[in-house]
Amino acid sequence: MGERVPDLSARDAGGSPSPTRRGWRAGPLWLALQLILSGSLLLLFLVPIVALFTYAPVTDLFSAARNAGVRDALWLTFFSSGIAVLAAVLLGIPMGYLLARRSFRGRAVVESVVALPVVVPHLLVGLGLFLLVIPGTPLNRFTQALGVPVYDTIWGVVLVMVFVSAPYTVLASELAFRAVDDRVLEAARSLGAGSATAFLTVTLPIALRGIVAGLLLTWARAVSEIGGLLVLAYAVYPGGPYNGPVSSTISVYIYNLFQLGDLADAAAVSSLFLLIAFSLFLLVRIGERSGWVPWRRGELSP
Amino acid sequence: MSPSWVVEGLETDLDRFHLGPVDLELTPGNAVAVLGPSGAGKTTLLRALGGFLRLRSGRVLRDGVDISDWPPEERGLGYVPQGLGLLPHRTVAGNLRYPMEIRARPDAARRTRELLDRFRLGALAHRYPARLSAGEQQRVAIARALAAEPGLIVWDEPWQGLDVLARYELGLVLHELRETERLPMVVVTHDPALAFSIADSFIVLGAGRVQEQCDAATLLRAPADPFAARFVGFENVFDRSALEPGSAGSFRAWLRDRAGAAGVAFTSPTWPPGPAATPQWEGKIRSARPSPQGLTVEVMVDELPVTLRMPPPVTPPLPALGERVRFGVDPSSVRGLG
Repeated sequence: MGERVPDLSARDAGGSPSPTRRGWRAGPLWLALQLILSGSLLLLFLVPIVALFTYAPVTDLFSAARNAGVRDALWLTFFSSGIAVLAAVLLGIPMGYLLARRSFRGRAVVESVVALPVVVPHLLVGLGLFLLVIPGTPLNRFTQALGVPVYDTIWGVVLVMVFVSAPYTVLASELAFRAVDDRVLEAARSLGAGSATAFLTVTLPIALRGIVAGLLLTWARAVSEIGGLLVLAYAVYPGGPYNGPVSSTISVYIYNLFQLGDLADAAAVSSLFLLIAFSLFLLVRIGERSGWVPWRRGELSP
Repeated sequence: MSPSWVVEGLETDLDRFHLGPVDLELTPGNAVAVLGPSGAGKTTLLRALGGFLRLRSGRVLRDGVDISDWPPEERGLGYVPQGLGLLPHRTVAGNLRYPMEIRARPDAARRTRELLDRFRLGALAHRYPARLSAGEQQRVAIARALAAEPGLIVWDEPWQGLDVLARYELGLVLHELRETERLPMVVVTHDPALAFSIADSFIVLGAGRVQEQCDAATLLRAPADPFAARFVGFENVFDRSALEPGSAGSFRAWLRDRAGAAGVAFTSPTWPPGPAATPQWEGKIRSARPSPQGLTVEVMVDELPVTLRMPPPVTPPLPALGERVRFGVDPSSVRGLG
């Protein structure tokens, strides 16, 4: 701080520390209760995962990673979920902005429709989409004419994934845009930023943290999807951007192993997938903590 | 040379709130303070000047050019909103550079350094706003406003959240700004000390309308609006309606005879009354509380609360609650409002 001159304002300096740093003291009983409750939940999360990892020996994990079928399924899953997230970015973020910034008639209806995919059992989603793409329906004719068949193709996978996961992008970005202070925006405007510049240099960077959190959820929801895929894209044939062998998403692949009674392989592939997904999440979190990523700048560190 | 600004019959609407008409003239080196209770339309006026609200009627002229329809970014007007509007995702230096960056000024780096030095922000250049004290944030806000080279600074509640020393310091900065840059300013404030230290004219708003508009000396000497009277230090202010009904010879009737269309105001009579004063009135003590100016004693007279002052040093016997006391009001200290 300004040591050279008497800084009269320095007395109230230092930002606002987190509650724990303020020296709040929890009673030992209260603390114990918190630890027990949170601990139980953590345990519940961890037990099935530990079970998966312990059921299959580590060597199985390596052999699963070398298995061509597993690799194809993993690649297909990450590839199609990537496209789904991209679609969610393109379609969901503008919608979140619209919902955050405009009031219009029928808004409640739109919000309910956005929440629908979260509520509906995903098997129904697959079924609904399936009914639309069976031969003779208008949508089927439309997709055929476009040259993007949906049934048992990567497009079907992407379609289901977008359906079940894009609401998280919409909801998260709506909240994120809503949290941007209008006064910051107006100050930027008066400093010379046109509305487009202000959006790109103020609104978007500030909202980015919430949006990224939403995109992580979106992606997580997309890769973990199975219900809709069982109906619409059980097997995925090459076509469109996917030109590998006939395969399926990792969730369907594991389900198949399980159905065949191959528990050891099911556990090994599950573990492998978990390891990859967990590493990705961890990487993002570490990036956020250390300030490598641009969307957490300027926040008080936790 | 800073431009001059003229606001003619400005009227605007925000939802169901209507503001105006407001007229205003600002020459270089001029500062106007906008006063008024919450919800009077102070911020609305600033936002209308800034170009954030559509005008229903009236014009805003900058050096004679009608800029009423210009977007905010072209007005050359530095708007500092309540809460300052610092960019939370940019450092102090990043905030100062922002207006120059979007105009792609080649000397942005040099000017950023100059501003950092001038406002003693050099050591804080790489900090984010959330890590600054309120006083430091204020300095960033004003330095950033200057970085855009505005022709007018429009500031909503500059002293908000500052302690006494930080206020004093910011007051000096604003004063210096007015003297050296000759920048016209419009300041919304609740603080008389700030208002009188930098403003040479005043607008008092109430419920969206201009209640009073005058220079500093007139406001101090002869406020016409009840809010303005309280603002400049009259402690006893009564609306016209509070003086009805008043039977002949009562305190109310006595005040009503001296009231203007809006009401009446007088400064706190001294208590106990000096030997020269004639105590005409009697009241019952409702509260007595210490203040830097002595003891503030509130008495009820004819169902009107009247503030009396016991100048320091406060010596016993101290007044007791419920006690009946006599006091005098110098007729020449009573000012009709409106």
